[in-house]
Amino acid sequence: MNKRQTRLFAGAATAVSALVFLVLTIDSHRQFGKLTNADNITPAVSRGKDIWHAKNCINCHTLFGEGAYYAPDLTKITQLRGNTYLEAFLRDPSKFYDEAKYRRVMPAQNLSDTEILDLIAFLDWVSKVDNQGWPPRPILVAGATIPGTDRTVAQQQSVAATSNTQAATAGSVSTADDPVALGQALFNSVSPSCNACHSIAPGVNMVGPSLAGVSARAQQIISSHAYKGQAKDVAGYIRESIHDPSAYVVTGASYSANGISFMPNTYGQSLKPEQLDYLAAYLGSLK
Amino acid sequence: MRYKSQSVAYWYFAAAMVLFGLQLVFGLLSATKYLGPDPLINLLPFDVTKVIHTNLLIVWVLTGFMGATYWLVPEESRTEIHSVKLAYIQLGLWLLMGVTAVIGYLFGYGAGNKLLEQPIPHKITIVVVMLMFLYNVGMTIKKSGRFTTTEGVLLLGLGSAALLYLPALLHYSNYTVSIYYRWWTIHLWVEGVWEMIQGGFLAYLLIRLTGADREVMEKWLYVIVGLVFIAGILGTAHHYYWVGVPAYWLPIGGIFSALEPVALVGMAIYAYSALRRSGLAHPNKLALHWTLGSAVFTLFGAGLLGFAHTFPSVNKWTHGTLITAMHGHAAFYGAYAMIVLAMIVYALPSITGRKEGGSAAGYWSFWLQLGGMFGMTLSFATAGIGQVYLERILGLGYLDTQLKIQVHFLMLIATASIFTVGVVLFIYDFFRHAPRFHLEPEDDDLKDRPTGNLRAETDPVKYG
Repeated sequence: MNKRQTRLFAGAATAVSALVFLVLTIDSHRQFGKLTNADNITPAVSRGKDIWHAKNCINCHTLFGEGAYYAPDLTKITQLRGNTYLEAFLRDPSKFYDEAKYRRVMPAQNLSDTEILDLIAFLDWVSKVDNQGWPPRPILVAGATIPGTDRTVAQQQSVAATSNTQAATAGSVSTADDPVALGQALFNSVSPSCNACHSIAPGVNMVGPSLAGVSARAQQIISSHAYKGQAKDVAGYIRESIHDPSAYVVTGASYSANGISFMPNTYGQSLKPEQLDYLAAYLGSLK
Repeated sequence: MRYKSQSVAYWYFAAAMVLFGLQLVFGLLSATKYLGPDPLINLLPFDVTKVIHTNLLIVWVLTGFMGATYWLVPEESRTEIHSVKLAYIQLGLWLLMGVTAVIGYLFGYGAGNKLLEQPIPHKITIVVVMLMFLYNVGMTIKKSGRFTTTEGVLLLGLGSAALLYLPALLHYSNYTVSIYYRWWTIHLWVEGVWEMIQGGFLAYLLIRLTGADREVMEKWLYVIVGLVFIAGILGTAHHYYWVGVPAYWLPIGGIFSALEPVALVGMAIYAYSALRRSGLAHPNKLALHWTLGSAVFTLFGAGLLGFAHTFPSVNKWTHGTLITAMHGHAAFYGAYAMIVLAMIVYALPSITGRKEGGSAAGYWSFWLQLGGMFGMTLSFATAGIGQVYLERILGLGYLDTQLKIQVHFLMLIATASIFTVGVVLFIYDFFRHAPRFHLEPEDDDLKDRPTGNLRAETDPVKYG
């Protein structure tokens, strides 16, 4: 090849590639509306997007896996956590994660209640964008899909040993603390700990069923004929399931037999009523 | 220095050095935050140190590109720069933009769009500066009437870089659409037109340092540019995998980004064979280290490590983890930091009157930076592999996973410190000799060669 030919090659290669790219761009625009549910971009979603930018969220978190790698991905966060949880978290993240334990925590962003709702509306829109099914498995913020894998045997034993004190502490902190945050702490620290048998990741059923989406299921259960318990609402159902596990049994070889749940029935005595409320608040906030 | 106006380059290089140093301060700060807890959380949280770290990178590399172009164009076109005054005004405006942007970030002002965080007035200033720069360089070439291929590739690269910044000025109500066009700027910069700029500098340096035949070098430069764009333009698709665009971008991304290393292999072979075949021993061996180093490290960081996570079936698991940080650090350093440092090391002896051979500090700096960056790349890689396995495959929570890979962050800080020592040595070596803008006697590109198997530069395309 002489220089003229190579110049022609460079020019033609660039022109053809650019042309194909532009055609595909036009076609992508044709599909953006449907893939991203553009009709659902309400003023609240737009305001939420502006807050996302103004607070520089992308330089710690990722969205669609893009951003910085210092904080969890939030693409599907609203499909794992309900509004109650996210609102409480955004009001004061330090209530939910201990910086001393995790070595990092989200700084408080001083958002107003409306701003928080707008931000959640934006994140909810993001979670529904058709993005080729990514992530292939849910990305959890903390804990483990299979509970226990985040701790060594020794750590788990020491948690069990101190769980009563921790539960007592969690129950006695001031009422200004958020019940959802307190519930999250109790979930991992009561004895025996809830997470020994229940995952909060969708579809991960262990000795006990996954508690992801428990509030939606509870709603269906209490309105069905098969339900014979006392609960009138989701929080009531969750409280009842904790202190009286056999009031309604979920069928499954490892869950129950002959109408008796395998779950320990000791929580009614070991937990204070307000602790049951905290757990109900936390579990009710899972989606 | 053959042309008086080339002294402009010194001040661009000096500014680039200071900004490079600052970039590392914020990089190290960010790295220590991975270990935590963070005592500065309310004063200088991670998002602020990180945005300053990445923005300073872009600003200093572009400052270096502009300085190196002001160095190269008078020599290639054999004339003085059109307006030295405009070049200084441009530098002043550019630095004002950079410094006020960083101060703004410290106080929470920014657009919050990854790598395009500059507020709108700053974005407009960037465009104005680029236009001033292109005008000045264009007029220089027009006046001289001598326009080489190397210059052509370089200028086309710089012009397209300015053009591709324009989509970043627009506002998009749909977040997915805004991601789509953000990559027109970022990806088509770093995996397209900036590679043209790198290729242009590489050709210039190889012709000067090895005495390689200009005809042959420029011919292959065209081939490299062609390969860069075949893979680079459609390779944008690898940023479109999981962001809400049509599914056909998945196979397109897989195929074309797999081709991206081809151009980089070409570039490394190009540099190595120029060195092997030349009969010339330019005394500035240190500049040759940086030149070859840039070609080889680009192949490693951009080519190999990019390829490592570019297929959709792999990227599905690695996307949004520290694997990306592994690739990003090595690629940016090899391709852009090193080529700017190569141009600086090449130009320094004639701007400051130091010896051509390079100093001991210069060589220490080269190897410490290379070793340090290699170690940082491995730290991110091992942290990233751990993260993918624990968080994405086993389903351990993000925060718990980060706790389990702390040791890699310690390794990151250790290797980043080695890298920093290398950079500090480079900066020290840069400022150790005061600038001395004396002119070398006019030459015709043949007389100053120790041995001359060079043909006279042929085929100067007449401008206009």
